[in-house]
Amino acid sequence: MQRLVDMAVSAVLLAGLYATMAYGLGLIYGVLRIVNLAHAGVLMAGAYLGFVLHRRLGLDPYLSIPLVLAVTFGFGVLLYRGLVRHLPRGAAGGPQSLLLLFGVWLVLRNGAYLIFSGNDHVIRTSYSTRAVEVLGGFVSLNRVAVFVVALVPVVLQLVLSRTYAGKAVRAVAQNASSCTLVGIDVERVYAITFGVGTALAGLAGLLSATLFSFNPSFGTGELLKSFVVVVLGGLGSIVGTSLAALLLAVVEVFAILVLPAYLTSAVGFIVLVVVLVLRPGGLFGQRVLG
Amino acid sequence: MSPARRRLLPWLDARDAAGFLGGLAALAALPLVLDVYAHNLLTVAFLAIAGALAWNWIGGFAGQVSFGHAAFFGLGGFVSARLLLAGALPPPLAWLAGAVAAGAFALGAHPTLRLRGPYFSIATIGLGEATRVVFTYWDRFTGGASGLSLPVEAGEKYRLYWWALGLLALAVGASCAIRRSALGLKLLAIKSDVDAAADCGVSPALHQDVALVLSAAVVGASGGLYASYFSFIEPTDLLGFDRSISFVLMAVIGGVGTILGPALGAIVFVLVRQYLLGSYPQLYLGLYGALLIVIILFEPLGLWGLGLRAVRRLHRRRDPALAGEGRT
Amino acid sequence: MHLTRPRVIPWLAAALVAVAPACRSRSGSAPTRVAIGATLPLTGAEARIGGFFKEGYQLAVDEVNQRGGLQVGGRKLPVALTLLDDTSTQATAVNLADRLINSDKVDFLLGTYASHLVQAQSAVAEQNRVPYVNGGGGATDIYRRGYKYLFGIIAPVELLGTTLMQWIDREQKAGKLPRPAKIALLWENTAHGQDFRKGVSEFVNTSGGGYTVAVDESFELGGKDFSALLGAVKAAQVDLFLVDAHLPDYITIHRQYIGAGLCHPVVSYGARGSEKGAVEALGREHVSYILSAVWWNAQLAQTIPQAKAFAEAFQARYQRAPEWFQALAYESGRVLFTAIEQAGTLDREAVRAKLAALDMPSLLPGGRLRFPADKGQQVQNSFVVQQNMPDGSSPIVFPADVATARGVAPNPNCKR
Repeated sequence: MQRLVDMAVSAVLLAGLYATMAYGLGLIYGVLRIVNLAHAGVLMAGAYLGFVLHRRLGLDPYLSIPLVLAVTFGFGVLLYRGLVRHLPRGAAGGPQSLLLLFGVWLVLRNGAYLIFSGNDHVIRTSYSTRAVEVLGGFVSLNRVAVFVVALVPVVLQLVLSRTYAGKAVRAVAQNASSCTLVGIDVERVYAITFGVGTALAGLAGLLSATLFSFNPSFGTGELLKSFVVVVLGGLGSIVGTSLAALLLAVVEVFAILVLPAYLTSAVGFIVLVVVLVLRPGGLFGQRVLG
Repeated sequence: MSPARRRLLPWLDARDAAGFLGGLAALAALPLVLDVYAHNLLTVAFLAIAGALAWNWIGGFAGQVSFGHAAFFGLGGFVSARLLLAGALPPPLAWLAGAVAAGAFALGAHPTLRLRGPYFSIATIGLGEATRVVFTYWDRFTGGASGLSLPVEAGEKYRLYWWALGLLALAVGASCAIRRSALGLKLLAIKSDVDAAADCGVSPALHQDVALVLSAAVVGASGGLYASYFSFIEPTDLLGFDRSISFVLMAVIGGVGTILGPALGAIVFVLVRQYLLGSYPQLYLGLYGALLIVIILFEPLGLWGLGLRAVRRLHRRRDPALAGEGRT
Repeated sequence: MHLTRPRVIPWLAAALVAVAPACRSRSGSAPTRVAIGATLPLTGAEARIGGFFKEGYQLAVDEVNQRGGLQVGGRKLPVALTLLDDTSTQATAVNLADRLINSDKVDFLLGTYASHLVQAQSAVAEQNRVPYVNGGGGATDIYRRGYKYLFGIIAPVELLGTTLMQWIDREQKAGKLPRPAKIALLWENTAHGQDFRKGVSEFVNTSGGGYTVAVDESFELGGKDFSALLGAVKAAQVDLFLVDAHLPDYITIHRQYIGAGLCHPVVSYGARGSEKGAVEALGREHVSYILSAVWWNAQLAQTIPQAKAFAEAFQARYQRAPEWFQALAYESGRVLFTAIEQAGTLDREAVRAKLAALDMPSLLPGGRLRFPADKGQQVQNSFVVQQNMPDGSSPIVFPADVATARGVAPNPNCKR
């Protein structure tokens, strides 16, 4: 019984990690209808940023969150203004945006190779191996911290959606052309949204760096899992993303009771395909067929 | 207006056929002047071109961008390799079996074809990754992570050049045939507006299935040839996400949706990448990425589009009467 | 209509010819150097160790060139190493090998690193009848194909599992570990992991009931969460915790292991354990008493002359102690060069024959090196088992003739 409780706790913590990784991707797609493959590159960049700050300035990763957010936000806005803005929107731009951002990812990867070499790096802090007791079992303090951070965007979403800015973003997501009629600067909303999405990716990378080792190729596996989460949750909905992350984590963790451990990594993808085929708009999202 | 040309088939005229056969003959005779390294490089290039062209049938003509084609490639490769190891079939039939297996798997993917746009793409990612994990686990069939080794036969690798060329010719011919036939028009209709197409009596399900099955079969055959070429295959290499991405890259760089654009993209992918690797090993990732960005921003139809623009500019210079007509 | 004309095929042909490298022919005159070709994963998944292998190769080559080159027949020829980056990709490794042999016309090849790359690349060498000496492919499958031109300096990974179990067995016979002992066997789903598992399982099967494998699970590389797996291990209440993993997974698993408050009498992560990266990531107190088995260790310098010479040369050049990667790479080069000098010619058949018949002193455990034909020309030298000690050292604890300390079992840190 205790084992099941331990597994449930692990699943919840894992969900926090998955959710954090997926937010940025979901936000950018929800508002701009662009699948941001550079998400993986920014994850990696966030990890390296945290690493450098920790190594050079002795800055604890959690304290460097504001700085990493700011830098990656700026990068995202630049990326949007410089490159992404020129892409055609909607279905026609599908493969183009995919590949443009994939190109950006490759450039980021190469940059990291040149600066840091291909070696694995890891951030170690005093609390890297500290454990806390939760519901009778021990879990890593770090993972609990990541979970707590994961809750923040959810709260923010609920709060911001009531503000003018939040409503503007939602309006743009629904019908961009009409927004100009009511005086919303659509391009500005796009740029800021892209920046926020990128910043969330950087944050996820930073948090991941406290848990795992990373190298310039970091991000591929995380990107694929993020896709699963974002689509399950209905692209564009942060609450949906969180719940989908929870679903994915629970399924993956408890699958070990019926499957060999190795196959549990396929479970997420199978769930994805099944859900998509049965409910193409994701579990919580809009109905989209065609 | 070009003069009336003799049509051999509805989609094939005499001049095109002559050009095609002439090019084929040229490529078939090429090994006489090539060294072994170039010969082998071209063999791999032919397989890549065939795969990219085939991907384009579902990704370009039908507009359903697949990020999971590695599953077909891997299935074809492993089925073929298993049959060869068992001595059950001669290589060409083993490759054909690989193609059939991949085509059958594509039929299984039918439900995903209802999805559109990024939803379809993401579903293909799911399928591709799930297949990879299952194949890596299923060591009885694939050897697991250790993979399968095929016996090395003298001269066999050399002869693969012509088999690969044959597959390439098939893919080129099929590309033209599909695009110019009723099937091609229907796929285009489905791509533009699936509901309107359905209203006109074009069944999205049937035609997309056809495109996907054909695409999978050719990609599966190229997987079989790949296995014979390398004499060693393992699941991560054949079924990994990088492999799936490579199909998309080749087609888009070359010109997604055009008939032969993906062929150009595949050439760039294989040959130029080799050049970058040998000379600028540390920079090849970044250069490749920059190349992508430039192509996407400035010419969405890829290299084919660039070539078109150049040809049009040439024509306008030759015939000033055309200068005022049409867009750039 | 211009869009769709297949007449572009001749253009394609022209394009292909234009970019395909031109023929290069070798002049018929006498050779002026020994051309060695190699690829290594300098970027990509295996880049870290690829870089280490490069150090080993360069040391071997420079050493030879410093004394004027190789004595081939009556002349001294310098060694020219062409080293390319295969980006950890199989197709690239094969293509570059093809290029090295057929275009750059190298005489011999040194291997790349990582079993799947070696397995693919060696097929090219075999087809072209080029001797291929490698220290990077440990999987036994590579050597089961009846290849004649392939030589492996790197002992089979199964022996890693076997050697570890031999030490454990010794401790069990001395009464330090329970009998029968329950094992949790977790292995990464790669060729390396499969072979490790095979080594341990076969030992268990022939141990006459001394061990049972209670948990036997593989895992995907780069996993984010092993808590479910560790939960299964906890539930099985095992005595021996044996894992085969790459460095990143080792760190992730062990962090969660510690976080979950797990502890076992014997803990091993296969070849991992003593790396500085791990100590940095986990903290010295958490890696204490972890056992690892590696192909070579700098402490062998105390008992093996070749190891001492190598370690000193490496230290002098790179200002740090070598590990098994550089040692195996260096030895591959040294072995190839020795065979060339013994053959007195650059003729591939002659050098191949010399390699096959080689029996020479070596820095490998055991002090000697040969390529047994019945094992597919893969060396069968033993591994060395190390154990991390609280003071930061990692002495060799097995085999006895090269051990520098007695191992400690059970793990004193576990309060049981």
